Amino acid sequence: MSGVSWTNKDEGLVLEQPKQNRLKFVVAGVVLVAAIVYLVVNAMSGNTQLYKTVGEFYSEQARLTGRDLRVAGWVMGDSIQYTQIDATNSRLEFDIVDDVNNPTQRLRVVALNEPKPDLLQHQAQALVEGHAEDSGTFVANKGGLFLKCPTRYEEMQPAASS
Amino acid sequence: MLADFGHFTLLIAFLVSLYAVVAAGFGSWQKRPLFIASARNATIVTLPLLLLAGGSMIALLLSGDFSVEYVWRVSSLETPTILKVTALWGGQAGSLLFWNMLLAIFLAAAMLRKWGEEQVFMPYVIMVGSFTQLFFLGLSTFIENPFARLDFVPPDGNGLSPLLRHPGMIIHPPMLYLGFIGFIVPYIFAMAALISGKLDDEWIRTTRRWTLVAWLFLSLGLILGGRWAYDVLGWGGYWGWDPVENASLMPWLSGTAFLHSVMIQEKRNMFKMWNMFLIILTYCLVILGTFIVRTGVISSVHSFARSDIGPYFFGFIAFMFIFSAFWVSKRRDELSSPNHLTSFLSREAAFLYNNFVILAILAIVFLFTYYPIISELITGEKGFVGPTVYEQALAPLFAVLLLLMGVAPLTMWYRTSIERLQMSLRWPVVATAVFTLILFLLGIHSVGALIGLFVVTFAAVLTLLEFWKGTRARMGRGENAWQAFSNLLARNRRRYGGYWIHMGVIVMGFGVIGVEIFQQETQMRLQQGESLSLGNYTMVFNGVERYAGPDDLVVTEATVDVLKNGRLVKTIHPQIELYTRTQQPMTIPDLRATISEDFYVLLVNWEPTTADAATFRVFLNPLVNWVWAGGFIFVIGTLIAAWPDPRKERQRVPQPRRAAIGAAD
Repeated sequence: MSGVSWTNKDEGLVLEQPKQNRLKFVVAGVVLVAAIVYLVVNAMSGNTQLYKTVGEFYSEQARLTGRDLRVAGWVMGDSIQYTQIDATNSRLEFDIVDDVNNPTQRLRVVALNEPKPDLLQHQAQALVEGHAEDSGTFVANKGGLFLKCPTRYEEMQPAASS
Repeated sequence: MLADFGHFTLLIAFLVSLYAVVAAGFGSWQKRPLFIASARNATIVTLPLLLLAGGSMIALLLSGDFSVEYVWRVSSLETPTILKVTALWGGQAGSLLFWNMLLAIFLAAAMLRKWGEEQVFMPYVIMVGSFTQLFFLGLSTFIENPFARLDFVPPDGNGLSPLLRHPGMIIHPPMLYLGFIGFIVPYIFAMAALISGKLDDEWIRTTRRWTLVAWLFLSLGLILGGRWAYDVLGWGGYWGWDPVENASLMPWLSGTAFLHSVMIQEKRNMFKMWNMFLIILTYCLVILGTFIVRTGVISSVHSFARSDIGPYFFGFIAFMFIFSAFWVSKRRDELSSPNHLTSFLSREAAFLYNNFVILAILAIVFLFTYYPIISELITGEKGFVGPTVYEQALAPLFAVLLLLMGVAPLTMWYRTSIERLQMSLRWPVVATAVFTLILFLLGIHSVGALIGLFVVTFAAVLTLLEFWKGTRARMGRGENAWQAFSNLLARNRRRYGGYWIHMGVIVMGFGVIGVEIFQQETQMRLQQGESLSLGNYTMVFNGVERYAGPDDLVVTEATVDVLKNGRLVKTIHPQIELYTRTQQPMTIPDLRATISEDFYVLLVNWEPTTADAATFRVFLNPLVNWVWAGGFIFVIGTLIAAWPDPRKERQRVPQPRRAAIGAAD
């Protein structure tokens, strides 16, 4: 390599780095960073979801209808219905709310051809990916039902009567 | 009584750790070795104190003392004995106690090791280590006290969710914890090197094995978590880019970058500042990981109860980060390296590219994981990034990483000529291209899959060639093939253990491509005697049986014949288990596993009223067992790399640094 010189430093002979080499690294680095930014922007564009609670959804229902959302809420146990329509079609429905003890606003979730998750129970916390339809029901994406994994399942303080 | 004793030991341990920090600080400031020795003893004593606390908790769990809130939460009268013990880390407060115990074990082990040349580090190791311990002990003692009592005695406890009664789930958290805490040790030594100003590679040599072992545990934790998800959660997958999964992936990534870049410091005395940065980053990510998992700050499918320890964690991370940054900037002159990269084509440059790609992956995972917080700050609305976005953004980077993994071992230190590299790459490229062409002719037409398979095959060919070249060279010296191969591994553990780990990653790569791109699934209701087909598999539903299991369990079991290409290959029994007391169902898949694919069947619905019909969800997961096999190879490789080499241990006397020139190997 041209432009290389040898100098004597404390640690013995050391190859000095020519300045233009450093410039090359800077340019290469900038290009690589740009490539990565492109990857991120490209992957994210149009693919991110908005994260809403049931109450937040209803406060802006008109704007949010049809958009890809991830809604979090608690499951009302008595609303869970699983219907096997025919051999290849099934329909799972349930309501989620922000507060199971005061369920003022219920969001009806519909999941087609999804098995009923083991953890889908009264008071389970659910995250649902999908979109709301004009009718107000929330249609879950395929594979878009997430029930909180019971890792360190911790409940409320027991009532003294229990 | 026992609960009070447990809490008391925690309090004492807290005070002892506080003493250790102060005494070590005072001793090093006033040059009083007696205080440092005393601080060392205090650090060691923390361990038996915490073992007493942990022992008390286990005794409380075993005796079923439900007046202790934690015991009530995670255990019950019916919980099997072994699960009572493992319930120690089944909940928030207990897992913090467990974390404290593990950290105390690591610190005591560090104190009890033979201190030679690194003696100068000791006071700082004690200060930083015990300070970390002090923080977690403070949380356990004052905020998340595992020994806190209820003001009445409930007759029975909550018990452990049946979904967690999987062996993978019982050992998965301790593995992750060991990995997390293991990385604290190299950080402590790094800080000791910074503060003491002894900035040669002594701290790296001292902690090399710690780092590898921590990395091994973290890897095991990640693999076991994936296996548990595959076996239990029934969605046919093993990784979902959930924030909590990412929280353990991120320190693993920075730890991986660190393991690679320290080699440049050892060989070329370069990248000192960078290595400091990486270990500090890993430490912060470890603490941040425990923070995310415990505070529910980001919505995740893993639910830890929300708790009020968030601000403390945040303060601690901020403090440690500023503390570390202060010392790095104070020592920046000593950290700058006299050596520079001499060529774009050299081993050290290859390591640099590797680090760059790994950190890019880390940055992207970080951005996506925290996107809900970031987007809320910017737009006022919480956003969320799903798995497909991760996969789309990261797949090209993983491909580059695999390419580097294959090519980097062919480069030399200082400089590699491009002709030489071309020569060593020519035939592997041709062979891989031919293989990919065959795959294309066999019917694989997905561009993504072909690129992916080309990359992993190429990396596999190059890595296997490294083993072949090494073995052949030894055979030329009269060793037989097996001797040559095993000596190759035994004499160069770090290098060939590393290549072995690369092979594990490559095998996992094949598995990931198989499942991600070629997975098929279907869901269908079948009458008894009916069948469904998926790929070249057919399954025949032969009826359901219902019987009582142990405890309150009722098992609904389907009998399914699996036919491949029309020939019966296995009869399987997917089940729904119902824990009647809690009404918690659990879907247990059954599968026919082969090296080429899993035929994975879930019984998703069975109504007693329509006795003869059942609904099944079926997955065909090509190459999924390569993921597990790769994980196994990976772990073996890490053990090879970390295993002590008795010959090298003996030689380990301080050597004058080799001249920078002519020492390439």
